[in-house]
Amino acid sequence: MMIDKNKGLPEEILNLPESSFEMVQTDEIKDEKFKTKPIGFFKDALLRLQHSKISIISFWIILSIIILALIVPNITGFTYTEQDLAKRNLPPKIPGLENIGIADGSRVLTNRKKDSLSDTNRYPEGSIIEIVREYESKGVAMVDVKVDAYALAGIEDDVYHWFGTDYLGRDLMTRLFKGVRISLIIAFFSVITNVIIGVIYGSICGYYGGKVDMFLTHFAEVLDGMPYIVITILFMILLGSGMLSIILALCITGWIGTARLIRAQFYRFKGREYVLAARTLGVPDVKLIFRHILPNCIGPLITRAMIAIPGAIFSESFLAYIGLGIKPPEPSIGILLSDGQSVLLQYPYQTLFPAILISVLMIAFNLFSNGLRDALDPTRRGEE
Amino acid sequence: MAEESNYILEVKHLCQHFSSGRGKNKLLVKAVDDVSFGVRPAETFGLVGESGCGKTTTGRTIIRLYNPTSGEMYFNGRDIAGPMTKDLRRYLTDNIAMIFQDPIESLNPRMTIEEIVGEGLRIRGMKDKDEVRARVHEMLEKVGLTEEHATRYPHEFSGGQRQRIGIARAMIIKPKMIIADEPVSALDVSIQAQVINLLNDLKEEMGLTILFIAHNLSVVKYFSDRIGVMYYGRLVEIARGDDLYRCPLHPYTKALLSAIPEPNPITERTRKRIDYDPERDHDYSVEKPTMVEVAPEHFVYCSPSELEQYQKQLGL
Ligand SMILES: Nc1ncnc2c1ncn2[C@@H]1O[C@H](COP(=O)(O)OP(=O)(O)O)[C@@H](O)[C@H]1O
Ligand SMILES: [Mg+2]
Repeated sequence: MMIDKNKGLPEEILNLPESSFEMVQTDEIKDEKFKTKPIGFFKDALLRLQHSKISIISFWIILSIIILALIVPNITGFTYTEQDLAKRNLPPKIPGLENIGIADGSRVLTNRKKDSLSDTNRYPEGSIIEIVREYESKGVAMVDVKVDAYALAGIEDDVYHWFGTDYLGRDLMTRLFKGVRISLIIAFFSVITNVIIGVIYGSICGYYGGKVDMFLTHFAEVLDGMPYIVITILFMILLGSGMLSIILALCITGWIGTARLIRAQFYRFKGREYVLAARTLGVPDVKLIFRHILPNCIGPLITRAMIAIPGAIFSESFLAYIGLGIKPPEPSIGILLSDGQSVLLQYPYQTLFPAILISVLMIAFNLFSNGLRDALDPTRRGEE
Repeated sequence: MAEESNYILEVKHLCQHFSSGRGKNKLLVKAVDDVSFGVRPAETFGLVGESGCGKTTTGRTIIRLYNPTSGEMYFNGRDIAGPMTKDLRRYLTDNIAMIFQDPIESLNPRMTIEEIVGEGLRIRGMKDKDEVRARVHEMLEKVGLTEEHATRYPHEFSGGQRQRIGIARAMIIKPKMIIADEPVSALDVSIQAQVINLLNDLKEEMGLTILFIAHNLSVVKYFSDRIGVMYYGRLVEIARGDDLYRCPLHPYTKALLSAIPEPNPITERTRKRIDYDPERDHDYSVEKPTMVEVAPEHFVYCSPSELEQYQKQLGL
């Protein structure tokens, strides 16, 4: 091909002396040092997380709820089991706010016979704040009257139940934050168990593939198809309704999603050239899994675990709500909601506070995990 | 083929078939089909063919990333096609290393350069951190990077630099042979020379054997002692580099050669692309083709009548 190529070439090009050529590429390759500092993966992710305001706010909300759950039950001055039937169903009373007319421990009693108001046995002195409405029914003078429920129950002035009390006279704030503590513990432990089982199961499926994968995947599918509530009830019968059986109940099928995720990630990454490169160097299977493939799953995994936490809290509440909660007198958000809803119309605050808390908690966890997902996404590396 | 002891790597009738689907939908891809060649110690063997013809598969089967469907492979006389034992894996990984095509994909984004390059040493039992570091730094110097680069992550490097890191990773375990799978295809032309020169220098220095895979002849022609041309899973011509340029025999080789741009602007203007169509160029309905040594060291896949024609062309 090259043998007769000088046909047609001008003389002066053909006869160029060798000295007129110059090596463009000198032998030594020497690269400059980088001027910037090295940034690791997690540091990089943290930097990006800090750019997202919503994530930061959510993070602080979650943190404050956790701190409150740790502190509040110890400083209210009540315990979560302390009952006092005299103090049943007291409305919220919060120092400071009581002076501006909200959360002042008052309640409107309707349909009272007007003349009974003067009965100091029933309405001790100072317990009646104002008469809201007067009317007549079947010839009897009736009133709706706003009373100070605390005075009515004969409680001293300096006792404050911030979120009110329940049907056994237990302080709801103590119980709510104690319940948050228990709900969070249940959620964390079930999620951690699910992640561990899911990672191991998914890794085995994804890494070895073939028949192993087929068998394990089908087994998981069968498990996933079983009626979840029935299995939960069986667990409860077997182990009693303790925290352990609830955690186990949340783990029966909870890990399957994680296993699927990990399996998919393995299929995606095990054929990558850098994994192959490690294999050609003789890196053993365990190291390939944990050092080369699994780290790619950390982002999705953390995100998933974070999303699973509110999910677990919600499932726990759901179980409690249908009567499969932990043993009384232990509270959890679900138990409180379940107790509260039975008196929803008379004492809405008993449902209100747990409902607000669970909503805030779930929204915060979801927003935070979204932020985390974006921050841990390696495809966004080097942006900003 | 020539006497066996001559070869450091010998591949005989290697087949690698991938099947997918089951029953009626079963699809068989003959990625590598009856490929035989040998590589001599300290030579560079170029494996050339268009994309998808099975070059990567050949390389990966040799290093046993895939299990061969059938065929024999020997490295230094030892059978490397048999069942995968711990011992065989050890033997393969100690003696053959691979350089990959994609400079982005082939480095773990979550490991520092030191971890990436030093991994081969660590899994071979080198516990002493300082020793590993010293070896890594030495290797980085050799490929033109500095010590300071060792603490960096791959995404901070350019394509050429990453490819050099890949070379360092392969070289640090001092293999006897390197399989370089299109190591420069993803790089700028100006960087390609840099990387190829580096490989060449290291080869001289360490007495390496290289199986160099490329999809066009222009990259391998300055570099390879012998060249094998692959088409659709088969080797169609093997010859010494200069023989292949001077007198290509197989029409596919001619087609590949005609695709190289020429530095001479006048002949470049009149350069004709030859295209290759196996249906038109061969008539294998009567005579079956085989691999024949047409001239010393020059093998062509051809039928007896084609052989005659080739011999005439060579003036034999
Ligand atoms: N793991 C695999 N499974 C199925 N088919 C494959 C696999 N790897 C490669 N192939 C097929 O084998 C053929 C050769 O591929 P490859 O060796 O990558 O070609 P090259 O490296 O020459 O471009 C292609 O048709 C490709 O689709
Ligand atoms: Mg390829």
